[in-house]
Amino acid sequence: MNRERSAMQRLETTIGEVLRFGTITSSTMFAIGLLMAVVGYQPEVAQLLLGAGLVILLATPPSRVVVSVIEYMRERDWTFVVLTLIVLLALAGSVVAAYF
Amino acid sequence: MNPLNPLNLTATLAVIIFGAGTVAGALGIALGLGGGIFLVPFLTLVLGFPLKSAAAISLATVIATSSAVTAQRAGNQLINLRVGMVLEAATTVGSLLGGITAQLVAESVLQRLFGVVAIGVAAVVLGRVNKRNVILDSTVDPGWLGGRFYEEESGGVVSYRVKRLPLALFASFIAGNVSSLLGIGGGIIKVPVLNSWCGMPLRAAAATSALMIGVTATGGAIIYYGRGDLQPLLAAPAVLGVQVGSWAGARLAYGASVKWLKLLMAALLVIVAVLMFLRSTP
Repeated sequence: MNRERSAMQRLETTIGEVLRFGTITSSTMFAIGLLMAVVGYQPEVAQLLLGAGLVILLATPPSRVVVSVIEYMRERDWTFVVLTLIVLLALAGSVVAAYF
Repeated sequence: MNPLNPLNLTATLAVIIFGAGTVAGALGIALGLGGGIFLVPFLTLVLGFPLKSAAAISLATVIATSSAVTAQRAGNQLINLRVGMVLEAATTVGSLLGGITAQLVAESVLQRLFGVVAIGVAAVVLGRVNKRNVILDSTVDPGWLGGRFYEEESGGVVSYRVKRLPLALFASFIAGNVSSLLGIGGGIIKVPVLNSWCGMPLRAAAATSALMIGVTATGGAIIYYGRGDLQPLLAAPAVLGVQVGSWAGARLAYGASVKWLKLLMAALLVIVAVLMFLRSTP
């Protein structure tokens, strides 16, 4: 029970770090890109920053699901490996639905 | 003027979207809702955006809010990771189906659906006007899905068990669908169900829902993005605005009485619903 709790605690911390990194990176890119777009300074670079910021924003939640899959595999908690894989599969379905 | 053409993005429009995001984010935090329920009607009814692009922009803000809030809370055990991951399987499948449906149905159908949901949210807000947090302070074994966390008000560790999992899964599936279709997080559907019927303390239910809405909104946002409905130039000011708004709102909401704010918001949501219905019948 204790081992399980500490594994969950570790996963929660890792998830927090992934999400913090994604949030800070995308928000920074948005802020700089937007400022550049509004004042009209190097519009191509601004577009690039905004586009990259959006992709990072969209990639952040799936990244923390991937981290969870790996952690549950290490713990051999197969129920949760399956559940988190279902989430990834549904997200992959969204990518298919977006581009087919 | 076509507001969706990035070349038309003036400083003014960016500032307006940023401001709308700030207000929506602050209200959302103060009421325990997401900002989407206010941002989407503003973008469609005031700025004239199609509901699909308003929903797409709003989903981007939902992802940002979820990531920021969860990053901040991680480690204090309020988030029930196991419940979150079980229910996410249902919300993401729901958001995939909702995202596909949004591409197939007419704008007027989406507007009417938004009207219905806005009325429902108003009812939930009114129902909670005088409600306080229900906290189980027993020290029972939390079981497979339950949890325990340190609760300041009771000054100790409280634990809870999770009941009626099929109901929670069903509510999550519906929430995922509605999230993609309308650009809201879906916490408004999940949190009351998890709290009232599934035995989760309100704060744990809200924290777990906040974790889930990020991945749920991503399912829908990816579809809008691929279909060209999610423009970075419009999403960026909304995301930044909501972040600033939630930050400010969290500080303002401390100690403030939100009873009148709730009544005001319920009235506003009813007006939004009426306007959405009027728009859907040209």
